[in-house]
Amino acid sequence: MMLKLGVFELTGCGGCALNILFLYEKLFDLLEFYEIKEFHMASSFREHDTLDVAIVTGSVSTQRDLNLLHYARNHSNYLIALGTCATHGDVQASVEGKIRDKLEKVYGTKANPMRALDSTPIVQHVAVDYALPGCPYDKDEIYQVLISLAKGIEPPTKDYPVCIECKLNEYECVLVKKEIPCLGPITLGGCNAACIKSGVGCIGCRGPLPKEANPASEFEILKELGYDEEYIRRKFKTFARGELRW
Amino acid sequence: MIVLRYVKLPQENFEEFFNSLKRWGKLYAPVKKGDIYSFQNVETLSEIALDYTRTMLPPKKFFVRPKDEMLKLKEGHWEEANGTEPIVLFGVHSCDIHGLEILDKVYLSDPVDPYYKKRRENSIIIGISCMPDEYCFCKSLGTDFAMHGFDLFLHELPDGWLVRVGSVKGHEIAWGSEELFENVTEEDFHHFREFEEKRTNSFKRSLNKEGLADILDLAFDSPVWKKYERICLGCGNCNMVCPTCRCYEVCDLWINAYEAVRVRRYDSCFMETHGLVAGGHNFRPTRLDRFRHRYYCKNYFDPESGFNCVGCGRCDEFCPAKIEHVKVLDKVREGLQ
Repeated sequence: MMLKLGVFELTGCGGCALNILFLYEKLFDLLEFYEIKEFHMASSFREHDTLDVAIVTGSVSTQRDLNLLHYARNHSNYLIALGTCATHGDVQASVEGKIRDKLEKVYGTKANPMRALDSTPIVQHVAVDYALPGCPYDKDEIYQVLISLAKGIEPPTKDYPVCIECKLNEYECVLVKKEIPCLGPITLGGCNAACIKSGVGCIGCRGPLPKEANPASEFEILKELGYDEEYIRRKFKTFARGELRW
Repeated sequence: MIVLRYVKLPQENFEEFFNSLKRWGKLYAPVKKGDIYSFQNVETLSEIALDYTRTMLPPKKFFVRPKDEMLKLKEGHWEEANGTEPIVLFGVHSCDIHGLEILDKVYLSDPVDPYYKKRRENSIIIGISCMPDEYCFCKSLGTDFAMHGFDLFLHELPDGWLVRVGSVKGHEIAWGSEELFENVTEEDFHHFREFEEKRTNSFKRSLNKEGLADILDLAFDSPVWKKYERICLGCGNCNMVCPTCRCYEVCDLWINAYEAVRVRRYDSCFMETHGLVAGGHNFRPTRLDRFRHRYYCKNYFDPESGFNCVGCGRCDEFCPAKIEHVKVLDKVREGLQ
């Protein structure tokens, strides 16, 4: 029997939904097991029904987002928070302050006709069955998760930092050898160390490694290398302010 | 296996000898990649960094690969995934040869790891002499000189190389290019000893092994572990680059709707799930447990089998927190006094 899949987009750049379509011919493998009931980025077709799997991308930034999120949760058996907006809040959640003050700063008025909310990750609002961060995530990851689910296998979660995959690929360590500020040691892996492959430091887009991260030591290491405290703090907070109280 | 004999390879024949090795398999040697060294496939002698200190990943990567396809699921059946091709590892340092021998004890004793065994049997190891840098402490572990575990070992001489033949295969290789070699003279031995002496005196670091097993026994609750645990990032870099770390994780990956591969990759005892077992119990639930565990594994885990450390210095060189292996153990020792 085919599984029913829905993809829901809250506030974000849209890249995470698009990234699913970038699976190209591999989408046909997914269609062996899933029928898509809602996927706004791909089609205007929509059939409201109970879903087996709901994928939610983006952060909760408006009342409409929150309503859509509740709808997705209430109509699905298995909900996947996909992308760092959904799992950690991402850049929009890194902006500090109250929504009314932000509105006033940008628009000159505290009026809120769009019913905007302070951006928060969806994990703060509903229970999720699987969280896959990344800005964007590696498209093969969602592929593996969806096929595993279709086969009745609980998809495994990553438990290691970016450093592990970096070393498995034998990329030169940019933190140790080039003194580039790299958040690899405290950031959840799964990206195959894409940034370090290109010789730049990890920017922490997948959020901190749950439980394991030692940001205090990373902070000291970067300070030792001569980076400004405020710079480091901002670097830490870019993607995951909502998740960790650095 | 015993050392069969010594021969001399004059410098003018070095390149020809090097090229002759390609007959025996795909040739890998240390090359410089940015600010690190790495064993890579090479075609010409000029690509090699003969004076390299240490590669980031040890030669272990040829026998237990960082990401290793074991099996393929095809039409409902598992098939063996990887073929083995003969390889020649040129320019392996003594510490790494010792590292491979430690892995042999693990992967070649019952139950034998078939992947490891096949690759080991299809490999030729050509050792090369080296000078220690500020991270090396192999001398204090007795791994600074290899008596076995190689086919040929090249020692630098002012005008060429003193070659120790370490196996029947090594003998065959030397025999096959007999015209390139000469007999070793008294003068060559003199130069060899001179080099070794200079090398012995160049070590800046050493591990104090005296009573270490007892010290670790007594120091389980030492505050030193707690001090370092706060600095440690728990990133696992030390495990990834270690020539004797042997833990791996196995996972299945889908390649299409009905086919999959079973892959194993290096695992790290700094990961939370490393000590997690069925039922949710974790043998090493905190970073403190895991930090301490690595030191016990390397130095004490099974005192009968000796150290699981060869003093190559990789964990120190690639630790972002600059934690020094020898220093931690010295501090633990001091903490007891």
